[in-house]
Amino acid sequence: MTELQAAIAATRFGMGAAPGEIRAAASDPRGWLKAQITPAAVLMPADDLLSAKQVFEARQDAYGMNGAPGQDANGVRSEAQPMIQKQVQRETRDGLLREVEARSRHAATTPNSFAERWHRFWANHFTVAARNAQVVGLVGPFEREAIRTNVFGRFSTLLAAATFHPGMLVYLDAARSIGPSTKVAERRDAGLNENLAREILELHTIGVGSGYTQADIIEFAKALTGWTVAGPQTARLAGLGKQKQGGRGQRARQQAAAPPADEYGEAVFVEPLHEPGPRTVLRKTYNVSAHDQAAAVLGDLAANPATAKHIATKLARHFVSDTPPASAVAKLESSFTKTDGDLSLLARAVVDLEEAWNETSQKFKSAEELLVSAARAAGAQATFGGAQRAVYTSLAQQPFGAPSPAGWPDDTTSWSGSDAIKKRLEWANAVSRRMARGETPSEFLYRALGRIASDKTRQAVARAESAEQGFTIALMSPEFQRR
Amino acid sequence: MIALNRRHLLLAGCAATLVTATPGAFANTGASQGRKLVVIILRGAMDGIAALPKIDDPDIRSHRASLLDAEAIPLSDGFALHSAMPALAAMYASKEAAFMPALAGPYRERSHFEAQDLLECGEIAKVSADGWLNRALQKAPGAYGAVSIGPTQPLILRGASTKTSSWSPAVLPEASDDTLARLLDLYENDPILKPALVSALGADSVAGAMETKAMGGGRGGSAQYVTQLEAAGRFLSQPDGPEIAVVSLEGWDTHTGQNAALRQRFAALDNGIKALKASLGQSWGKTAIVAVSEFGRTVRVNGGGGTDHGTGGLAILAGGAIKGGRLYGDWPSLRSSALFENRDLMPTVDSRQVFKGLLRDHLGWAQRDLDTTVFHDSAKARALEDLV
Repeated sequence: MTELQAAIAATRFGMGAAPGEIRAAASDPRGWLKAQITPAAVLMPADDLLSAKQVFEARQDAYGMNGAPGQDANGVRSEAQPMIQKQVQRETRDGLLREVEARSRHAATTPNSFAERWHRFWANHFTVAARNAQVVGLVGPFEREAIRTNVFGRFSTLLAAATFHPGMLVYLDAARSIGPSTKVAERRDAGLNENLAREILELHTIGVGSGYTQADIIEFAKALTGWTVAGPQTARLAGLGKQKQGGRGQRARQQAAAPPADEYGEAVFVEPLHEPGPRTVLRKTYNVSAHDQAAAVLGDLAANPATAKHIATKLARHFVSDTPPASAVAKLESSFTKTDGDLSLLARAVVDLEEAWNETSQKFKSAEELLVSAARAAGAQATFGGAQRAVYTSLAQQPFGAPSPAGWPDDTTSWSGSDAIKKRLEWANAVSRRMARGETPSEFLYRALGRIASDKTRQAVARAESAEQGFTIALMSPEFQRR
Repeated sequence: MIALNRRHLLLAGCAATLVTATPGAFANTGASQGRKLVVIILRGAMDGIAALPKIDDPDIRSHRASLLDAEAIPLSDGFALHSAMPALAAMYASKEAAFMPALAGPYRERSHFEAQDLLECGEIAKVSADGWLNRALQKAPGAYGAVSIGPTQPLILRGASTKTSSWSPAVLPEASDDTLARLLDLYENDPILKPALVSALGADSVAGAMETKAMGGGRGGSAQYVTQLEAAGRFLSQPDGPEIAVVSLEGWDTHTGQNAALRQRFAALDNGIKALKASLGQSWGKTAIVAVSEFGRTVRVNGGGGTDHGTGGLAILAGGAIKGGRLYGDWPSLRSSALFENRDLMPTVDSRQVFKGLLRDHLGWAQRDLDTTVFHDSAKARALEDLV
C-alpha cells in the first residue's frame, strides 16, 4: 500500500519519479512530500540568468523607451539601427532559451519536485507569457523573483509580489496605464488600461462570476495607476505632470516622484501618473494614500472568501481530478480561510487530502508535464536533447508561452486531442531510440511508475519486440500519460 | 562518426536526414578491393520455419500444418522457400543466395531486448557498451567505414571507432504498425486515449491494424524495408563509399495471425533485397549480405495462429560474393525429442561463426583479432569456412 502511495507521491504530487525516488518515499510518502514544503526547496540555480533589472539595463541602450530599438529617447533613429535591432532580437531569444533550459533542467533534476509542481501551479496561476518583445526578457525573472520566492509564504504577499513585478505590469499593460484625469493623460492623449485590474479579479483572486462589475474593474484600474516600470520615459512622463502644474511645493513633490536612474528597471510608483482621489471597489471605499491604494485593494481581495474558494477549486482540480469532489474543495477552502492564506499550510492540506490519493490516476499530463516526467525518469539527455524547442513546439506547449493570462489549461480535453496523441506518439517513438541501454523497458517502467503500472501495461512493455518499442509503449502507456 | 557528404546524400536519392555526423570522410585505401558487407537485423524474431520450411521433415505437418505455405518454392535438400520470396528463390538457383536453417547466438533466454543487445555487442551473457562491428572497425585491415540505415546508431556500430555514420529517411521515424496495434490493444479500455489514437490514425488504417493485430502494413514496418535496403546499396556503391552497411528491419514478432503478416514481411524483404541488388549495381558481385534475427520462434503453433519466442532461427545469405545455392549447417530435425526444451528448433550454427567467416574470408580480418577482440574469447565459435 505504501509502495503505491510512494509512487503516487512522486508522480502525482511530484513531477515524475526520478531514479530511486519511489523507494526513498516509501517509508513515509506524506512525510516525504511535506519535507519539501520549505522556501529553500523551491529555489532554482540561476547563476547565468539575468534579473528583471539587468534585463532592462542590458536593453536600455538599444531600446529607447519609445519602444523601438536603435532610437534615442527622443525617437531619433541611429544609423546602426538595423544592426542593433538584430542584436537585441538575438539577445532576447538567447536569454529566453537560457531561461527555458535552466527551468527544464531544474524540473528534471530537482529532488524536491513537489515543491517544483507547487511553484509551477502558482506561476501558471499568475501567468506572464512571452507575448511580445517588451515582455520576453521578463518572463523568467518574473517567475524567479515574484513567484518562486513567495510560494510558501502568504497568498497576500505572493499576490502583491506578482502584481507589482515589472513582468506583470508590462504583460498586462499596467505600466502604460495613466490616470485619465491626470495632467500627463491630458498632455499625452493617453489613459486608463483596465487589463491588469480585470485579470486580477477574474483570474488571480475572487474569480469570474463572483459578483464584481465593470465599475469595480475601472475603479480598481484607477487605483493601480501610477505603478509602472522606472525608466527614462517614466521620468519624462512624471516631468510632464510637473511642468504644467507649477508651484514650488508641488514641484518639489513631483521631482521626488520621478524615479531616479538607479531605480530604472524596477517597479515603482509614480504619483503624477496616478488617478487622484478615493476609489470604491466591491462596495468598499479606499481613502488611503495614493501609494497605498492598490495594495489595500489587493489585501482585501486576498482575504475575500471568493478568493479562498477560487484557489481551493483550482488546486483540487490540479491534484484530484478535472471535476473534484466538493469535499476536497471544502477542505482546502477551509485551510486557506483559517490560516489567512498561509501557502505552506495550504500545501500541507493538499498532501493530507484523501481524495488526492486515489489509486487510479485521474489527471492527464500536459505536454510539459509529460516531458518533465520523462526527463526525470530517463535522464534529461534522452528526452530533451538538442531539439528541445522543436519538441515543445510539436507538443504545443512552449515554456513561458501560455496562450493567455489564464495560463495553460488544466483539464484532460485540452491535452488529449487526436493530433496531440499522434504528436506524443511521434515524440515517444523518437525518444525511445535515444534512451539509455543498460536497462530494459520493464525496469524503466518500474522505476518511473512503480506500482502504478497495471499488469496489462507491464506485460505490453515486457513483450515488446525491441527495446525501442518497449520504451515507446512505456512512455505512451495510459499510466505514464496520466499522473 | 563520419559525415556522409552531400553527394552521398543526393545519390542516396531521398530527402535525407543525417542523424549523427562529425567531420571526416570515408577514405578507401583499397584494402577491401571493393568488397562490401551488409548486415540486416530482422528485429522481433523472424519465424525461420515459416520462411524456409523443411517440407520433408516427418514432423512438420503435425507441428505446424496451419502455418505452412502450400505454394512454397522447392529449393534443395527438402527445403522450400516461402512463395512471397521469388527473388531470393531465383538467387538461390543462380547461386547468389544461401540459407542457414538452424542458427542462434550463444544466448538461450527469450527476451528480445537482451537477445538483440547480445547479438549486436557479440558477447555471450553480459551486454557491453560497444558493438562487434565497431570493434571490428578498430582492427580493420584497411580504413574501412560503416553506415547504419535508421534514425540512430544501433548498438552493433557503437563504440570507440569513429568510422561510422547513420542515415535516416525521415526526421521523426513513424511508429510502426506493430507498435500502433500494441498501443490500441493497451488502450482497449481507455476512454481518452483509445478514441484519440483511433481518430489520429484514421478509421481505415486502424481497422486494418486491429484486424491483423500485431501485423498490418503501410506505416513504418515493412513499408520501409525497400527504402532502407535500397539506400544501403546506394551508399555502398559510391566510389568512396563505406564497406559495411547495417540495416534494421522491424516487425517480425508474430504472436498472432502470422500467415498474412509474414507474407507481407517476406514480400517486403524480398523486394528490398532485389532493390538492394539494383542499387549496388556493379558492386553486387563483390557483396555479401547476411540477415539474422535475435532468435527463432517456437516450432509449434500457439493458440492465436502465431508462434512465440524460440531459439534456433534462419540466417539468409545473399550477394554475388556468396557461395550460394546451398544450405549451411545441419538440420536438427523437428522430432519433439530433438527440440530445445521440447519447444524450439535446436541451433546447429552459432551466429558468431557466420559473422567471423564473412569478416575473415570476405573482408580480410585476421583470425586472431576475430577470436579475441571482435568477439571476445570466441575461439571455440570457429569462423565458418567457404562462405564466399
